[in-house]
Amino acid sequence: MKRFGWQWLAASSLLIGALAVSAETRPQFGGTLHVAMHAAPSTLDPADRTVPDSFGRRGLTSLIFDTLVNVDDSGRVKPALAESWQPAGGAQHWQFRLRHGVQFQDGTPLTAEVAASSLRFANPSWSVRAEGDAVVIDRDTSAQDVSESDLLAELALKRNAIVKRNADGSLSGTGPFRVTEWERGSRLTLVANENCWQGRPFLDSIEIEFGKSFRDQMTALQMGKADFVEIAPDQIHRVSQDSHRIVTSPPMELLALVFVRDASSPEEKSVREALGWSVDRGSIRDVLLQAAGLPTGSILPTWISGYGFVFPSTADLAKARQLRGQAHSVPNWKLGYDNGDSLDRLLAERIALNARDAGLSVQPIVSSASDVRLVRIPLTSFDPWIALQELESEVGLSGPVAAPKAESVENLYAAEQSLLATRRVIPLFHLPVSYTSAVGLKGWTLQPDGAWDLSNAWLETAKP
Amino acid sequence: MTFRRKLLLVFTLTVILSVAAVAWLVQAVTRNAFEKTESERTATLVAQFQREFNRRGDDVARRVSSIAASDPIVRMASALNGTPADSAEYFDLARSMAESHQLDFLDLVDERGVIISSAQSPAKFGYPESAFDNLAGLNQQGAFLKLEELQDSSALGLFAVRATRAGDHPVYVIGGRRLDKTFLSALELTPDMRALLYENRGDRFSADQLIDPGASGPASGENRPANRFQPLIDAVRRDDREMTAVLRWSSDQADEEMFHAIPLRGVGKDRPLLAILLIGNSRRQYVELRRRIRDAVLLAGGAGIILAVLLSSWAAARVTRPVERLAQAAQDVAGGNWNSSVEVQGHDEVAQLAESFNRMTSELLAQKQRLVQTERVAAWRELARRLAHELKNPLFPLQLTVENLIRARTQSPEQFDEVFGESSKTLLAEISNLKGIIGRFSDFSKMPQPQLRPVPVNEIVTAVHQLFQAQLPAPGRAAITCCLQLDERLDPILADAELLHRVLSNLVLNAMDAMPNGGALTLRTRNDASNAVIEVGDTGTGLTREECERIFTPYYTSKQHGTGLGLAIVQSVVSDHGGRISVLSEPGRGTTFVIELPKNAGRG
Repeated sequence: MKRFGWQWLAASSLLIGALAVSAETRPQFGGTLHVAMHAAPSTLDPADRTVPDSFGRRGLTSLIFDTLVNVDDSGRVKPALAESWQPAGGAQHWQFRLRHGVQFQDGTPLTAEVAASSLRFANPSWSVRAEGDAVVIDRDTSAQDVSESDLLAELALKRNAIVKRNADGSLSGTGPFRVTEWERGSRLTLVANENCWQGRPFLDSIEIEFGKSFRDQMTALQMGKADFVEIAPDQIHRVSQDSHRIVTSPPMELLALVFVRDASSPEEKSVREALGWSVDRGSIRDVLLQAAGLPTGSILPTWISGYGFVFPSTADLAKARQLRGQAHSVPNWKLGYDNGDSLDRLLAERIALNARDAGLSVQPIVSSASDVRLVRIPLTSFDPWIALQELESEVGLSGPVAAPKAESVENLYAAEQSLLATRRVIPLFHLPVSYTSAVGLKGWTLQPDGAWDLSNAWLETAKP
Repeated sequence: MTFRRKLLLVFTLTVILSVAAVAWLVQAVTRNAFEKTESERTATLVAQFQREFNRRGDDVARRVSSIAASDPIVRMASALNGTPADSAEYFDLARSMAESHQLDFLDLVDERGVIISSAQSPAKFGYPESAFDNLAGLNQQGAFLKLEELQDSSALGLFAVRATRAGDHPVYVIGGRRLDKTFLSALELTPDMRALLYENRGDRFSADQLIDPGASGPASGENRPANRFQPLIDAVRRDDREMTAVLRWSSDQADEEMFHAIPLRGVGKDRPLLAILLIGNSRRQYVELRRRIRDAVLLAGGAGIILAVLLSSWAAARVTRPVERLAQAAQDVAGGNWNSSVEVQGHDEVAQLAESFNRMTSELLAQKQRLVQTERVAAWRELARRLAHELKNPLFPLQLTVENLIRARTQSPEQFDEVFGESSKTLLAEISNLKGIIGRFSDFSKMPQPQLRPVPVNEIVTAVHQLFQAQLPAPGRAAITCCLQLDERLDPILADAELLHRVLSNLVLNAMDAMPNGGALTLRTRNDASNAVIEVGDTGTGLTREECERIFTPYYTSKQHGTGLGLAIVQSVVSDHGGRISVLSEPGRGTTFVIELPKNAGRG
């Protein structure tokens, strides 16, 4: 299951890397990189879970902060701020020895106390303490069996990055760039962290503009106002015909319909199920997504779970009509979508049309006061259990899936099926995340979690 | 109502009706003229709408033809021709082509009628274009009206269809422009006209479907809510024909608008009703003109009526004055003034009438004088007869007594003293009798004038009834019953109680004399409209018609020993009270005397 996913990721990354290396020349220091992104986070704190997760936010976090450990393209855990780790006093206690000589961007040294405080802030249920230059994490094992890989995978999540929270509310990290100007949700300016433990980055600074639609991002790239932009799934095919470098991840973003509340009756569940059967995912993929993404009926992509194909993803209008016919009353759903994304609007309108064919009433609206939302949920982790739990949390389900003691495929399937049976989520597609850059931008890569990695990027012709 | 007032009323009504008729005529002519003008203006606007409709339709058709002939469409048609084509890559083509050719609607449809790309509804790809049953038939035709279904609504537009062929498999380009406020604003309207368009979708009227280019202007908005159009729209939808209605926006009639509703249909077999063009004409000019006419009519009419009243008053007075004189003279004559006459002026019919009246009164006066003279002679004769009769009876004993005295003196002196004594007694008795006769005549001639005071009539009648109560059952005669019927509502009247008592006593005595064989005496009072009425009735022998006519004549009597002055005195007293006495009688059934005394006697 996991092997399949790692192999896909590794193969695509190798291919990208080979293509990139052959084209690159010697790295150059200096220059300001201009980035445009769709997300508009209101905070830079990676542990703030009130802000929706996004690949762009993850990329930002990786520029400013570091985690104790990282996961490489092959899925292996690599040391980051933690040089090493080992069980301490039993399998439930883990000791992470911090790297020496690491300083925060404000000049203060990284200490075990700060790291432990940061982890406690991000995970209030954890028991984390500092012991000398090491951080000790005591996991509660009464309810679930926590393996080493689970803990490390969680520590590699961006939300577990080590953040020094100063008394004035400012944040400080150990990443390659530090914040110099921050207009909340609008604009961010970063400058190189000269004392970065990984060495000074090539770029002098990065200017990031938030809240840009995909179309505006492409326009900015073509006009030379941006060096690095995101690509909407439906634009991948068209942009690939240009001379820009494109990097595309495996399908790791779930596009789904999420109801804002639980179904109040079995009949309502049936009607929601009818909505799932009515959506013609094939046509949507072919036309609206321009063959990008994979139709799905499962939450986890097949390349992670291995069984995603078991959940049907083809439309069955007859079944949808049958389910709808069994219901005494059919609600008039308001389908909310992201107003800044034209693709989302088209998707919502198409879903409404498909639903109407099944005798259902769906009205696309941009207002937040909706009954059901069309959302994109980035998969958090390659670990299916963690990914499922994080998604549950993201969707707002009341009873998170608990990892059973035996992490078998059968249990994972049962957990996912149980989650889908609530009819809160109707999976539609697993979408890849894609980025493109100006010709002069070199050295940027894609992180395993879909975030961009600009820490080693450089501009071929440095801008003043 | 007097003749003069009647004449004045007739004159005035004639003038008012004449003025009203003229006003109505003027208003009718004005209304007809306005309606004719309005009809012409509406026809002009409809023609203008049709021209603009055609011009825009030609423009749409030209743009759609241009799109159909463009390279992207031709390339797409070639790529899709006859192969299991992947049309996904053309999904966004309609939007870009619509933008470049400034069309609001653009659908690219394959030969099966399936949407390849839609500018207005991009999500509709793969769905059939259900609005047309024969796309090939519409190719190369002019523009037509169509209601385009959108995501949450629909929009009215002018559409054209053109086909692009690459081989045997055509691709249809269906393009259109919205028929909206901009289109309506392009119509050249006079300031008091406006044009609106109602998009006919759904089963019920919806104010949101009314396109009003001046919705933000003073002619629309809250003061002119769109739902006022509902009855007109519903009527057009129901009857599917042109209609006209007046919409009243406020209590001011000048705010009224007359709307002409014209149904607009689409293409196809059923030619569905897609929209309704509403052409409104403000009635302000008409209403203001009508008000001016009304004011002028009121002013002229008022002045005319006043003038007519004055003139007709003068004319009526001129006409009615001789008649009034005649009427007054007639009233004088009726009041007893037989010397009244009318001044005769002119020679017209009224003058002839006055002359005849004067002649008639003169003759009546002469006849009356002759009658009075005749009656006076008759009365003297009757008086002489009565006097002769009355005096003859005592004179004869006097003559016999005197002759007896003379004979006794000459033939029997020894018995003269004895005879003288007896004769003296006889003479004195007869002389006394003569004095009594003369005294009664004297009393009649000296009837006192009544002293009028408020008198309760019922009490006097009751007193008379009580007075004779003891005499009714007289010995040697059959009993007489007395019935007293009093009207309690009778108020006191002005009268002389003593004289009235004498009158009633006299009548009761007469009634008792008329019933020697007994009977029933009735005393009745009643309240008439203006009189107090007293009736004295008996069931006696009754009177003949001749007796009834002469019964109140002085010295006339039907009794053997009556003076004939009793009922004459009764009539005299009643007359002095301003009243009237009459007798109703039938021989053998009895007699009833009816006294009518005025309630307000002596007040005047």
